[in-house]
Amino acid sequence: MASKDEKPDKPERFSVSRRDFLKSAGVTGIAAGVVGGAAELDAQTGAAARVLGPGDVPVQLTVNGRRIDLRIEPRVTLLDAMRQRADLTGNKRVCDRGTCGACTMIVDGRSVYSCSTLAIEVQGKQVRTVEGLVSANGTMHPVQQAFCDQDAMMCGFCTPGFVMATVALLEKNRNPTEAQVRKGLDGNICRCGTFVRVLEAAMKSRGVARA
Amino acid sequence: MPNFDQQPPAGGGAPTPQGRGGAPGGAPPAGGRGAAPAGGAAPQGRGAAPPAPPSALALKYPWPAKPVLLGTRVKRIDGPDKVTGRAKYTHDINRPGMLYGRIIRSPLPHARIVSIDLSAALKAPGVKAAYNVKEPGAQVMYQGDTVAAVAADTEERTKDAARLVKVEYEALPHFANEEQAMDPDAPVVFMGGNTRPGTAQDVGDIEAGFKQSAHIIEATYYTHVITHVCLESHSIVAEWEGDKLTAWCSTQGVFPSQQGLAMGLGIPAANVRVITQYMGGGFGSKLQAGAEAVIGAKLSQMAKLPVKLTLDRKEEHLDTGNRPSAGAKVKAGVTADGTLTSYQADSWGTGGAGQGVGNLPIPYIYTFPNRKRTHKDVYINSGTQRPMRAPGHPQACFLTEVLMDELADRVKMDPVEFRIKNAPVQVPSAMYRTYLPEGAKLFGWDKRHATGDPTPGPIKTGFGVSVHTWGGGGSGTQAHCDIMADGTVVMKCGTQDIGTGTRTIVALVTAETLGLPITAVRAEIGDTNYPRSGGSGGSTTAPSAMPAIRLTAAKALEALFVKVAPTLGVSADTLVATNGRIHVKDDPTKGVTWKDACKTLGADTISVDHMWEAGLSSVNSSGAQFTEVAVDIETGIVKVKRILAIQDCGLVVDRLTCESQIYGGVISSMNFALYEDRILDRVTGQMVNPNMEMYLLAGMSDIPKIDIILKDMPERGVVGVGEPPTVSLSAAIANAVRNATGAAIRSLPLHPHKILAAIEQQKAGGTL
Repeated sequence: MASKDEKPDKPERFSVSRRDFLKSAGVTGIAAGVVGGAAELDAQTGAAARVLGPGDVPVQLTVNGRRIDLRIEPRVTLLDAMRQRADLTGNKRVCDRGTCGACTMIVDGRSVYSCSTLAIEVQGKQVRTVEGLVSANGTMHPVQQAFCDQDAMMCGFCTPGFVMATVALLEKNRNPTEAQVRKGLDGNICRCGTFVRVLEAAMKSRGVARA
Repeated sequence: MPNFDQQPPAGGGAPTPQGRGGAPGGAPPAGGRGAAPAGGAAPQGRGAAPPAPPSALALKYPWPAKPVLLGTRVKRIDGPDKVTGRAKYTHDINRPGMLYGRIIRSPLPHARIVSIDLSAALKAPGVKAAYNVKEPGAQVMYQGDTVAAVAADTEERTKDAARLVKVEYEALPHFANEEQAMDPDAPVVFMGGNTRPGTAQDVGDIEAGFKQSAHIIEATYYTHVITHVCLESHSIVAEWEGDKLTAWCSTQGVFPSQQGLAMGLGIPAANVRVITQYMGGGFGSKLQAGAEAVIGAKLSQMAKLPVKLTLDRKEEHLDTGNRPSAGAKVKAGVTADGTLTSYQADSWGTGGAGQGVGNLPIPYIYTFPNRKRTHKDVYINSGTQRPMRAPGHPQACFLTEVLMDELADRVKMDPVEFRIKNAPVQVPSAMYRTYLPEGAKLFGWDKRHATGDPTPGPIKTGFGVSVHTWGGGGSGTQAHCDIMADGTVVMKCGTQDIGTGTRTIVALVTAETLGLPITAVRAEIGDTNYPRSGGSGGSTTAPSAMPAIRLTAAKALEALFVKVAPTLGVSADTLVATNGRIHVKDDPTKGVTWKDACKTLGADTISVDHMWEAGLSSVNSSGAQFTEVAVDIETGIVKVKRILAIQDCGLVVDRLTCESQIYGGVISSMNFALYEDRILDRVTGQMVNPNMEMYLLAGMSDIPKIDIILKDMPERGVVGVGEPPTVSLSAAIANAVRNATGAAIRSLPLHPHKILAAIEQQKAGGTL
């Protein structure tokens, strides 16, 4: 998985980044590494390696607590699966190679670049998109509210990614220092230049963000 | 599809000659619409044209002296939609049965197309349409030039099919930079020559001026090419119903895009509806319908299904515009007492394949009584330029402001004092006499050391300053206001919100005028079904739209007063609307609530059209920016420590979004100075960094403390602030780096290797 964290909590032995995948494409048995939960294979033992695709395969995802069943090619990214097949268009595609953070989603509590994460590899994991932050009664997440209050947006295209990155950061560290907030949001790029107010919004959200 | 010429436009019928864009009827805006007159003519003349006198209606409905909402901090009304992901950008529009389009582009910077074979692509799974954008025999003029297009049912299959399009090219000679194109032995690549002379200028007696001079500097200054890097790439979702097209476009101008699509498709403009509810950044590159818009619409027409075409990041860098380079070989003189004398410059720049650089207003702002200029547009084989935030000004500002610090050093004057001495006396440039001392005091300018930080150790700090100006101004925009019997208010205007907060200020001014809370007003924008407005560029949106909104709302209110007055037994002209009530001016108790007032409409709706009139907006603004930087002279890395921006804002409409624009402009200027750079391989002519990891942009850790001082001048009416704050920081940073290191800094970007080279050159005896 294309994690944005410098040091993952634990090694993700069944995960392969898109780039690693492309690098090793063509090597027999690589498919076993990307199957994850769906085909219930054991990549460690290498038993019963089975190639999925090309062509559509069933992929079952849990997104914002809801189950989503898709038939997609194994090469479809998590971002494209959400945007093009599930009409969850809140997270944006900008650089499409894990640089700008507009696609930031939270998978099992960790922020990821969903443009560089395959949909098929997050089966069995809890995926959260920006749409999932609003509570059932329609109340915005405190981080979303803070972004509105501080005008931490202009065109708004990077905003969902910044919101998700801020939420992920605060869920790990409820009271980060300003330096930690800056570091935590360094994986996101804004072209309009809203950084000053994004920082204000993130700092204002400290301690109040719900887990 | 940039379509602007060397010369700034005459303003498309705008009432002043400054070329202010936002022309009536939504004529396509063009490049170079700053305040400076055409072709580098004397900048002193800017602002000299008398403003159009206020109209009778503007005099009747001036901006309120004691506003409730105007000038306060009003939260963006579409903020919740943006932070929750509900806001639907063009990229987010998904239509039933929609296909995905893709453009096949030239990998070569210059070639003749020998053949295009679509047959394999047409047989590929899911493909519904493909066609040649250019025919064999035609030339491609830059890497990324359009060749063919394909549409299929999934994006993955579209990419597969695009790879199956076979194109044979015959490579032709190309230029990857200005030096190659200007080489007298270079082959002729562009019809009519590889360079084209621009406007020359000869004012005063240049030689006499140099004779008076105690010091003369001769040096070459240069700014590089950058791209717009809109986060939402240029895109369209096209859907046909019979011969009528609905196009969701990521555009800064729904009406210019309507015209562009109609022209590109050969259909009446009336058959095209363009919708832009949200758009993810344009910065000047989305003022017209680009090639991708027409191609997406054609694919949809062929396939008889909706088509979404979104450019990828590489295409976005290659073929959606850029800020042209600007270089100048300069000779400039100053007398012993610090008075500027003569300025001679041979300038050049490239706007890519067959495009000029547009307006380059050098010398910027300051008064050189004797001036002589030549200019050369240089054509290279790269994507073509489009206006980018204050076209011509960041370049001209750098070329001039860096020289100003060097001249100030020669006469041993403080840079602030030197600038004040040589600033023109006319408004708006006269404002520098106020802004510079005020800023210097706030910034602690007295702590600035002379050129070259004497502190031991590798980290040197320095201060820099620079000033800027911009024209902007309003005209032409129309609006429509409905007041309904249930109290609903809808304000419709075919302008668009490019991130500046236009939707919010449309609602704000309507609410202010009607005495209502902003939540009581629905602002409907971004659709060619609404009254005409121009493109959002050149800081013209607010000054064009706000007067239209103010007057339209006022006329609608007048109509409501006529309905309400008889029920109160008073005449309509005694009524006012405040605080959600309509009442007699001096007797708030004698009145009714807004809702009750609207009930008098019965089955009617008040429906009023009106448009921009002179008197509620202004042309021209100015500002000054200060910065402190730290330079590591061992690594060449520059870190901006703090920034102070002073900006004339005229009448501030929404203080919150106004400040956001200024922060954004400042950061954009920092990116120009320190990070971004479009790099073309000098041999292959291909872009080396068409992505977002090697094309550098500031991140959160790069952002310094930024202080903003808004100079409220409500008596001037509304001015735009999109362009001005983005002009001068890059020059101020360069001056601060020079102040820190003592090394001559004469070209952008200030990448570490260039800083180190400048320091080495300084050690070796300097360049002065």
